[in-house]
Amino acid sequence: MLLWTKPGKIVTWIAFALVFGVLVLAPFIVVAAAAFAGSWNGVFPSSPTTSHLAEALSGDELASLTVSLQTAFLGGLLAVVLGTWAALAARNAPKPLARFADALHHLPIAVPSVVVGLSLLVAFSRQPVLLNGTKWIVVIAHLVLMVAFSYGTVAAALQRTNDAYAEVAASLGASPARVLWQIRLPMLRPAIVSAASLSIALSMGEVGATIMVYPASWRTLPVSVFALTDRGQTFTAAAESLVLLAVTVVLVVTLDRLRGRSVER
Amino acid sequence: MTVRLEDVTVRFGQTVALEGLDLTVAAGETVALLGPSGSGKSTALKAIAGFVRPSRGRIWLAGADVTDVPPARRGIGVVVQQYALFPHLRVADNVAFGLRAARKPKAEVARRVAEVLEMVGMAKYARRYPRELSGGQQQRVAIARALAIQPPVLLLDEPLAALDAQLRADMLGELQKLRREVPDVAIVYVTHDQSEALALADRIAVMRDARLVDIAPAADLYSAPPSAFTASFLGGANLLPVEVVEGGVRLAGQTLAGLRPQAATLPGDAGGASYQGAGRSGAGGRSEALLLCIRPHAIKLSDRVGEADAVGERGEGGGATAGDSWPGVLVGAQWRGASSRLTCVIDGLPAVSVQVDVPTGECLPEVGAKVSIELPVEACTLVAAEGR
Ligand SMILES: Nc1ncnc2c1ncn2[C@@H]1O[C@H](COP(=O)(O)OP(=O)(O)OP(=O)(O)O)[C@@H](O)[C@H]1O
Ligand SMILES: [Mg+2]
Repeated sequence: MLLWTKPGKIVTWIAFALVFGVLVLAPFIVVAAAAFAGSWNGVFPSSPTTSHLAEALSGDELASLTVSLQTAFLGGLLAVVLGTWAALAARNAPKPLARFADALHHLPIAVPSVVVGLSLLVAFSRQPVLLNGTKWIVVIAHLVLMVAFSYGTVAAALQRTNDAYAEVAASLGASPARVLWQIRLPMLRPAIVSAASLSIALSMGEVGATIMVYPASWRTLPVSVFALTDRGQTFTAAAESLVLLAVTVVLVVTLDRLRGRSVER
Repeated sequence: MTVRLEDVTVRFGQTVALEGLDLTVAAGETVALLGPSGSGKSTALKAIAGFVRPSRGRIWLAGADVTDVPPARRGIGVVVQQYALFPHLRVADNVAFGLRAARKPKAEVARRVAEVLEMVGMAKYARRYPRELSGGQQQRVAIARALAIQPPVLLLDEPLAALDAQLRADMLGELQKLRREVPDVAIVYVTHDQSEALALADRIAVMRDARLVDIAPAADLYSAPPSAFTASFLGGANLLPVEVVEGGVRLAGQTLAGLRPQAATLPGDAGGASYQGAGRSGAGGRSEALLLCIRPHAIKLSDRVGEADAVGERGEGGGATAGDSWPGVLVGAQWRGASSRLTCVIDGLPAVSVQVDVPTGECLPEVGAKVSIELPVEACTLVAAEGR
């Protein structure tokens, strides 16, 4: 009712602008401003400088960026491969087993990431698998968290595809491998690329589990941001955040391009 | 190549989708599987193709047991209900898929693709993607893809169901032409449309509730349906309850002479016996429930007032005198273009309406008029009533 009157509309729009502007947009603007601020004592920042950004792109901080990228690609790629594989397998598995796999893959979404990190730390800090102190424990933590999303995305797409395609392909004489590579996977390509970009974006921003397990030699960008802020270097942290944001956006947009024309039916 | 199914039963959990199907399709023969929705037609096709494994029974191709052979090694061409063209491949690549799977040389693939696309009139569209084609064009590509591998057996699952009436009629003609171009292929054609089955099939297998009810050459099944279900499903026959009496049958208190049940018209010999609880009790038995079966176009109708120029040639009029005419009332009329569908009831049989087709151009009685309904004895057959 409110929406149909002119004042009603205005009120609604103002409310929306306030919520969106204050809670979502303003923090971004403030971070961007802080990244270039020499000092910020009044309402507005003063003495603009690019030294924070330069700092964020050199030495330890630059290393953090490459660490983050490597972790995201390694963990994300593995997550997509495993998630796709699991989704395909669950599709052909007996019902109870498929339901079990479904539930299992939802676990990392439901469990707080700090708990995931802690359990990995406890599990891999002793024999027989000693990974604590290596980069692999970080990659595994990311993999565990991302595989759930990959599985979910691909399984949802699989649910919408008809078995008839694979059946017809088989009747035309195609081996199971040919059916997989030439029919099933190409038809799932949009979902697989979505899963990849989601995994990479999430991995680039992951803190909760990473902070529990990371060794000094393998510090990801968000952890650096956290550490810098902790030490009071807010402006440098802001500059790093800006770098993180830019890199993630570029990655996701590039992957989205890769998806190309949608071939899903 | 002959396809033979022996007692094939398919269960999905608790559902029995196909029960004890026995069927043989010879090389060069077209058999239509005809039946209402959910009667197990697609399931039968999937069993032949190898997409589902029968829980009981065996399937033979050219004398070899293929029950446990995967679809990829059966070499059967399949066109499924929704075509299932691979959306990410162009028309030519769709058609080439089977040839490439068989690792045929490039030149041969190209030649064969061009050949089958030409055969279905789709050569112009080789570079298109499936989503850029109309329903009828997609259907042709699906057929071309199945024919490309030169299968000795072709399975078609309601290939025309998704098309509109006009296109369906056109495609029916094309399928007839195609049939002549692949004379040695055994074809199983699934449909729930009786006109498709009559137009294309050498033999029609009528299915119901997962079972084969009747199977016979199309003409025989139409002119002398072995069961009440087939009679009404194939051509919408009138089914009128009768009793066997001395020298004929009795319908609504009047005797139709010269019609007697024959062993051949009784059910049980085509595997559908379980539906006709009353039917089996024997040829010539007197007490069993029988139905007189007659096609709507075979019935002649005339005004009961008895003018000589009425629809029937029987100028006598006055229903009582005619040996095979019954007095009745016309209760409805529907014009259908080339003919009119009239609905009558016979006096004394109010529960059963009789459908009559009269060609357009003949003069029709008014709705509500008293009419005389003539059932020519040579157009009548008897079938057992179903035991329900
Ligand atoms: N995969 C399946 N799982 C469970 N039940 C199934 C499955 N496929 C078919 N059925 C059941 O088996 C029966 C026969 O199905 P089928 O697809 O063979 O029917 P149909 O004669 O082809 O019908 P239509 O004309 O609607 O295509 C139906 O009752 C259906 O519900
Ligand atoms: Mg079907």
